[in-house]
Amino acid sequence: MISAPRSIQGRLLAWVLGMVVVVWLSTAVITWFDARHELEELLDGHLAQAAALLVVQQQGEIEDDRHDLDAPTLHRYAPKVAFQVFHEGRLALRSANAPAVPMAPPGQSFRAGFDTVQIDGLSWRVFAAEGGEQDVRVYVGEQMSSRLEILWAVLRSTLWPMVVALPLLALAVWWAVRLGVAPMRRLGQVLAQREPQALHPVAVAGATVEMLPMIEALNALFARIDQLLASERRFTADAAHELRTPIAAIRAQAQVALAEADDLARRHALLNTVQGCDRATRLVDQLLTLSRLEAADATALEVVELRALTQGVLAELAPKALGKHQTLAFEAPEPCHLPGNETLLAVLVRNLVDNAMRYSPPSAHVTVSLRQEAGRVVLSVEDSGPGLVEADRRRLGERFFRVPGSAESGSGLGWSIVQRIAQVHRLDLQVQPSPQLGGLAVHVKGAASPPA
Amino acid sequence: MRLLLAEDDPLLGDGLQAGLRQLGFQVDWVRDGLAAERELRTQAYAVAVLDLGLPLKDGLAVLAAVRRDGISSPVLVLTARDAVPDRIQGLDVGADDYVVKPVDLQELAARLRALVRRAHGQPQECLQAQDVVLDPAARTVRQAGTLVNLSTREFDLLQALMLNAGRVLSREQMEQHLYSWGHEVDSNAVEVHIHHLRRKLGSSLIQTVRGVGYLLLREAPTSP
Repeated sequence: MISAPRSIQGRLLAWVLGMVVVVWLSTAVITWFDARHELEELLDGHLAQAAALLVVQQQGEIEDDRHDLDAPTLHRYAPKVAFQVFHEGRLALRSANAPAVPMAPPGQSFRAGFDTVQIDGLSWRVFAAEGGEQDVRVYVGEQMSSRLEILWAVLRSTLWPMVVALPLLALAVWWAVRLGVAPMRRLGQVLAQREPQALHPVAVAGATVEMLPMIEALNALFARIDQLLASERRFTADAAHELRTPIAAIRAQAQVALAEADDLARRHALLNTVQGCDRATRLVDQLLTLSRLEAADATALEVVELRALTQGVLAELAPKALGKHQTLAFEAPEPCHLPGNETLLAVLVRNLVDNAMRYSPPSAHVTVSLRQEAGRVVLSVEDSGPGLVEADRRRLGERFFRVPGSAESGSGLGWSIVQRIAQVHRLDLQVQPSPQLGGLAVHVKGAASPPA
Repeated sequence: MRLLLAEDDPLLGDGLQAGLRQLGFQVDWVRDGLAAERELRTQAYAVAVLDLGLPLKDGLAVLAAVRRDGISSPVLVLTARDAVPDRIQGLDVGADDYVVKPVDLQELAARLRALVRRAHGQPQECLQAQDVVLDPAARTVRQAGTLVNLSTREFDLLQALMLNAGRVLSREQMEQHLYSWGHEVDSNAVEVHIHHLRRKLGSSLIQTVRGVGYLLLREAPTSP
């Protein structure tokens, strides 16, 4: 199920208001308990004090013997307060609202102190006290409901402002959050208004610290895509050149052959046509190899014995070397195993040796050597050709890069293929001048693996 | 017509050279940008075919350099770069035509002839002077409607004179028009060809300016 995306503004609003309500309610609860505690202490104190007064008064007045008088009702709250004075078990004095029986839990012997008693279905807080000679007993009671009323009043004064303020607060928070997330909304607008192909960096006025990583990541992405596109455009332009030139050559040679009356000249043009086809074929092969390599990964590596593999490749290339009167040599004291794909490694070796032969003059030496050094396999291809200047060495591997002025008609893809295969196999590639032969030396190094 | 071909690809260069020779051009072939620039500066080519991806110096840079120095020989850019910005840049730098590989040899030759014609202010494909009409494409010459049989050199020489009708061409200039590299030039070859042309076309067409060179008159001179 796809749920609608949630808005940051809505989330912030909900959280802030939720927190405010929780904090406010907690405050109210704490106030409730605190106020109840203080109120009880205060009122209980009053009850106790009133009882003490009555005890003292009664002891002084006993001789007067006015024990059945009712005290007057003085205050509108007075009905909620009641007292009884007993003298030697007889009711001596009571308030109008007090019952005739002691305000004590039924069936209990006298106990001084506080008690909660049910009288006529109402809950009373009663304080019982006794005179020194245990002849005077005083009960002072207060209806519990009056205490609750006070507490509720306190709570109402805490909660009412909240009920009124909450909608106002919600509005204020909504507005503040809206202002706060404005830069993000602007970023959204800036992105929405961009042309689909636009790759220039995004700039948002008033971007916040929190947004900067996002914008920077976005701009880095744009820059990367731009670079990628530029390199692809260059590749397309170069590929166009490399593909069209052999075709143009084939066409020109074929047209020459068609129009040529002289047998020798026509034969020359036709041979050139065939040669052009061979070159186009080689180019297409290499392009296909390269595109297959783009998708290759290192998952399907097995243990390959490089000495036998190299011998096989060199055997294939030997006739070509002989045709150019070049000396091809292979030095490998021992078998070398390394993880790899046999087909790809053969392509790598073939490209390296083919390059060395191709760019070295007739009668040149090309030496291939294979050895193990400290757990690493090192394959070196060296030649006595003209070598490469530093700047050209660095540009090797750019697709279609050809060393300027070289007469050989390579595609400029061989090195790209070699580099890609090395990358898939995690092999190091080093290109240096060859100290022994004076030309170019290419070293391929990779971790050896034990024989399978 | 003498033509400079600047192309680094051996097979394509060879094919273009052979094909353009078949179609009547004297072709000099250079394989890098520096050589192309040198030749354009020192030799009088009727037209040049320039590849852009040349080693040592890019074709566009060569073109810009020679145009800056006031060399106005028509230049046809022959390249694989077919993007519109590339074409615009090529033409802006000073190319007279821009052709994308691969190209039909006949079409290439026709475009080159058109460039040469326009460079000499000739709006029509055929060159005309007095009663002589020269068709560069068919490589035929007619006088008063009758086909005149000319050798290759005679045709080239007549074409050079007709393209420059009304202007005096020196013997050296005409030799440059006639011979690509590697051809031994006899010291009196031009005189011999002029002699043959006069014999075939009449003496009033080509005038000798003694000590300077030769001149072809578009209109027949009125008798004094």
